[in-house]
Amino acid sequence: MGYWKDIVVGGWSLVEGMKVTGRALFKPVVTVQYPRQRLELSPAYRGHIELKVFPETGTHGCIACGTCQRVCPSGVIKVQGVKQHARGGKVATHYVIDFTRCSLCGLCVESCPTQTLQFSTEYEMEGPSRWDGVVDLVTRMEESRS
Amino acid sequence: MMEAATNTGGDWLRLIVGLIVVLIFSQLNALFLVWLERKVAGHIQLRYGPMEVGPHGLLQTIVDGIKLVGKELITPFKADKKLFVIAPVLVFMPVLIPFLVLPFGPELIIRDMNVGLLLIFAFSTFSVLAILVGGWASNNKYALLGAMRSVAQNVAYEIPLLLSVMSVVLMVHSFKFSELVMAQHRVWFVFLQPVAAIIYFICATAETNRAPFDIPEAESELVAGFHTEYSGMRFGLFFLAEYTNMFIVSAVATSLFMGGWHGPFGWSLGIPGVIWFLAKTYFLLFVLMWFRWTFPRVRFDQLMNFSWKVLIPLSMLNLLVTALVVKFV
Repeated sequence: MGYWKDIVVGGWSLVEGMKVTGRALFKPVVTVQYPRQRLELSPAYRGHIELKVFPETGTHGCIACGTCQRVCPSGVIKVQGVKQHARGGKVATHYVIDFTRCSLCGLCVESCPTQTLQFSTEYEMEGPSRWDGVVDLVTRMEESRS
Repeated sequence: MMEAATNTGGDWLRLIVGLIVVLIFSQLNALFLVWLERKVAGHIQLRYGPMEVGPHGLLQTIVDGIKLVGKELITPFKADKKLFVIAPVLVFMPVLIPFLVLPFGPELIIRDMNVGLLLIFAFSTFSVLAILVGGWASNNKYALLGAMRSVAQNVAYEIPLLLSVMSVVLMVHSFKFSELVMAQHRVWFVFLQPVAAIIYFICATAETNRAPFDIPEAESELVAGFHTEYSGMRFGLFFLAEYTNMFIVSAVATSLFMGGWHGPFGWSLGIPGVIWFLAKTYFLLFVLMWFRWTFPRVRFDQLMNFSWKVLIPLSMLNLLVTALVVKFV
């Protein structure tokens, strides 16, 4: 009787398989038509770092202390700042990162004394040159504010 | 005398118009089916499939076809040149002939021959020869393996195919398509001969080298099987022949088991016969695609076992029972 049982059981398993794919045929499509449609990114997404803008001051809080520059294991960060007043502290004028070598470890974000760094949601970083990964975060912040 | 002359004239006209319509139809049908296949595949895998060229990618296959026409026809250095060139022609020519006898509607048969069914099966066997020629002439191990598999598979599956068709022929006592369809005016044969219908459809899948029986071109083991060395429109002809063959086996299934141009249980619902016929044929084609994107490919020994140990005995039994019923009931 094994012969007939095999035919019936095997045949039924084929029907079950067809049911699975038949249902999948009418399920909503999960593909996103990328350049025309974009997904809402999760806040947990880690792009390259960016300067936070504080609403009280209307600008970033970087004091160009260089902690991030020293703590970065890949030597990605370069910060420059100037004293704007004789008595005041430094304010960053250039904050350049080379994202091509960044490993997104987050030590800079953790170590920042003024908590002015955060991960951005930037994901379209492709470019024909290796210098396309170099970003000045101060200019980027000013561009995004304007 | 006069009458005979006009008759032959009408015949020629019918033949020429039929030929042109068939040529155009087979191309358009293949273009549409390739698009449909990609769409069905996409949606089963929760993708869209082609979306870029034309609305919902409808023109994608036309663009692909133009690309194929523009490609260089490469002939391998060590190939058997004459056979290599002739194989794609040989594979495409016989798939046009079955259109002569396919009953699209009560008045839409180019020629209602009394051996119509035999003609179709005689010519559909040609494609195996063409595949063998192409695989042999390529002088490539993958192509030859694919061709040999194809022959073994087609020989094995032709038998249950014909046996299941014979049980229908026994009931109608005719090979003529119009009579086969007329006999299903009230009840479709799929209800009277369910086993034969299922066996026919399985064998038809195998005959057209479709998944899960696509071992002649199993891309994971044989690159592309028998058409590994073909490029450009020569490959295009193999492709076109495959999809036209799919249409033919589905159309034969429609006219043998699904009532041809009749609606279910004799209700035509005011829809013309040709629409019924095409709707059923394309439904079966959709089922063929559904098969392809559901089942994994069978191994070669499984394929042979399935034919010789299951399909042939079952179709024999079915034929025997049919013969007894026809004789004594």
